[in-house]
Amino acid sequence: MSSNKFWKLLGALGVVFALPWLFLIVIPFIKMSNAKPVPYTEADGVEGIAAYPDKALQRHGSSDYGRQIYAAEGCAYCHTQVVRPTYAGPDMWRPGWGGREEEGLARETHPGDYATEKVAMLGYQRIGQDLSNVGHRIKSREVMHQHLADPKGLDPDSGMPAYKHLYKKSSIDDGYVPTGKAEALVDYLMSLKKDQKIPSAVVSGS
Amino acid sequence: MTSEQPTPEEMSERAAIDRSARFPVLFFFTSAAAWLLVATLLGFFSSLKLCVPGLWDNCQFMGYGRLFPAHMNALVYGWAMQAGLGVVLWLMARLSRNKIEHPVALIVAGALWNAGVTLSVVTVWFGFGNSVPLLDFPAWVWPIMAIAYALVVVWILPMFRSRGESLIYVSEMFVLGAVVWFPWIFITANLLINKGTAPVMAAGASAWFITNLSYFWMAPIALAIAYYIIPKITGRAIFSYPLAQVSFWILAALSGWTGFARYMGGPFPAWMSAVSGTASIFILLAIIVTVVNLLMTLKGATKIWEFSPSLRFTVFGMLMLAVYGLLSAMSSTYIFGKSLQFSHFVVGLDTLAFYGFFSMTVFGAIYFIVPRITGNEWPSGKRIRTHFWFSTYGIITLVVCMLIGGIAQGGSLSQWNQAFSTSFVTSSAYVAGRCIAWALISFSNFLFLYQLALMFIGKGRKTSGPTLIHAEPGKVESAKAAAGLN
Repeated sequence: MSSNKFWKLLGALGVVFALPWLFLIVIPFIKMSNAKPVPYTEADGVEGIAAYPDKALQRHGSSDYGRQIYAAEGCAYCHTQVVRPTYAGPDMWRPGWGGREEEGLARETHPGDYATEKVAMLGYQRIGQDLSNVGHRIKSREVMHQHLADPKGLDPDSGMPAYKHLYKKSSIDDGYVPTGKAEALVDYLMSLKKDQKIPSAVVSGS
Repeated sequence: MTSEQPTPEEMSERAAIDRSARFPVLFFFTSAAAWLLVATLLGFFSSLKLCVPGLWDNCQFMGYGRLFPAHMNALVYGWAMQAGLGVVLWLMARLSRNKIEHPVALIVAGALWNAGVTLSVVTVWFGFGNSVPLLDFPAWVWPIMAIAYALVVVWILPMFRSRGESLIYVSEMFVLGAVVWFPWIFITANLLINKGTAPVMAAGASAWFITNLSYFWMAPIALAIAYYIIPKITGRAIFSYPLAQVSFWILAALSGWTGFARYMGGPFPAWMSAVSGTASIFILLAIIVTVVNLLMTLKGATKIWEFSPSLRFTVFGMLMLAVYGLLSAMSSTYIFGKSLQFSHFVVGLDTLAFYGFFSMTVFGAIYFIVPRITGNEWPSGKRIRTHFWFSTYGIITLVVCMLIGGIAQGGSLSQWNQAFSTSFVTSSAYVAGRCIAWALISFSNFLFLYQLALMFIGKGRKTSGPTLIHAEPGKVESAKAAAGLN
């Protein structure tokens, strides 16, 4: 076939795909890339924190390493970290999913909530609980470890497998002793608190 | 693609093309079929683990979070990509009337691709994954796959370019589209995930990658096959060529906009999921037009489906494509998405794309191509029939279970004052169905691999006349009689 016709067809195939690629992926990516924290104003009434998102608030101990364990074990295949607004699902109705309700801080998830991660662990399915605010719901490290080592002990109906390979069997009392990986994973789970107040400047879209 | 009888010169030209394609295409098909068996077994074990969570608690390699992604990687990169490459090579060679010039280079590239797939499955399985569906291998794996892919398809563009000035077949456009679009989405998604500085967009890109893989690799190749095989076997021209072209461009223009509807209400600007949902609904129109166009081509000749394995698999694949279009359009609206989003339905939908319409159509192509390139016929029509029915029942069981299970799971999740674990309990019976479905599919693919391996080592039937379902080997008339023709 003539060279002209060949390149025309190839060009057309490229153009039809370039449009969505540019407008749905590249431009939103550039706009969301390296987002700067937005400082609180006086009207927000937040004390002690300068801006949203505060990366220090999103970390807990060795949570960065724990995040790798979370990813490697494929936790995101069963656990989401998305709290949807009520028009898209009933997530905000579930006690504790949106964050600290009694303090009026419960809300949907926002792009800034994932600032310390490389890829936001939004999740593929929701076979287990949403973990956006699990750090608020479960405050004790012991309970968190129990959820990983023996979930059926906490809820007989639970569909979660026990992650026994993250624990060593204790020689003293048959209990499970967490390895460094388990401690890091618990650090990461404790760090999951996606209810930092959003500054009014972000809400108004400026 | 016409109903005219080919001249003897054309016949010998075709035979020469088929001979040149023999080793590379057979290499891709056979290693793909081996990966498919691995993938379906991993699918079975991951579903079993989900069904009985306490199983293999002490073994880190048998967790759902590792088995399931390993299964998806093997299914998509091991089987779907590789079988697709084999089909694409043969179709392009035949349609552009070119011999495949560098079989050894293709096999080397294919081996490199297989090395990449092995790494992508093994790294995830051994705990180096990053929980991003289908892109969860470490950052150094994807360049290997990208290079191997480039080394294969680099031969396809010149083949197309050197074709004559005649009318471009719709199949060629689909092949060309798939070949050009796949590396684009693969590289974009991988760069965003591994080098990106926008965590939320990286997650969005992975959802975008999955739907685009369905619409820009699975669907075009399935349609290229259908537009080739259905006219070829029925001996008729496509019902409407302009309609086929229009639906091609609609699919091409809209598919790139899909994907974000998987995260409706997620941390993205709301317009993104709205645009994606709208695109899915309009794509449904293009898919319906396409499937109707193909079925109209088939009209009055449907009896052939009774005995031709290629036609039977291809037509079933096209019906599954229509179901896929319908379900993805449905789930991208708020009404259904509210409860189906994040439910078992997602797995059903993805498997419907990877196995339902793509694999079934590709089986049709493989049953058509392999006898031509090896010069042998399939050993047993009965085994082909068993392959078809076990696969069909398997994929239908899986999709129905995941759809109803998803509704049950989502419905129980929306009862916010019920315990969360209720949603697991109400849907667990459907997960058992998923388990059974993979067992059926695994069995059918064992037969498929066995037959293909026999063909690979030259143990096919040497007699003339194709192997048909419901027929004595090589006897076309008995098949026609069984189907009630004559």
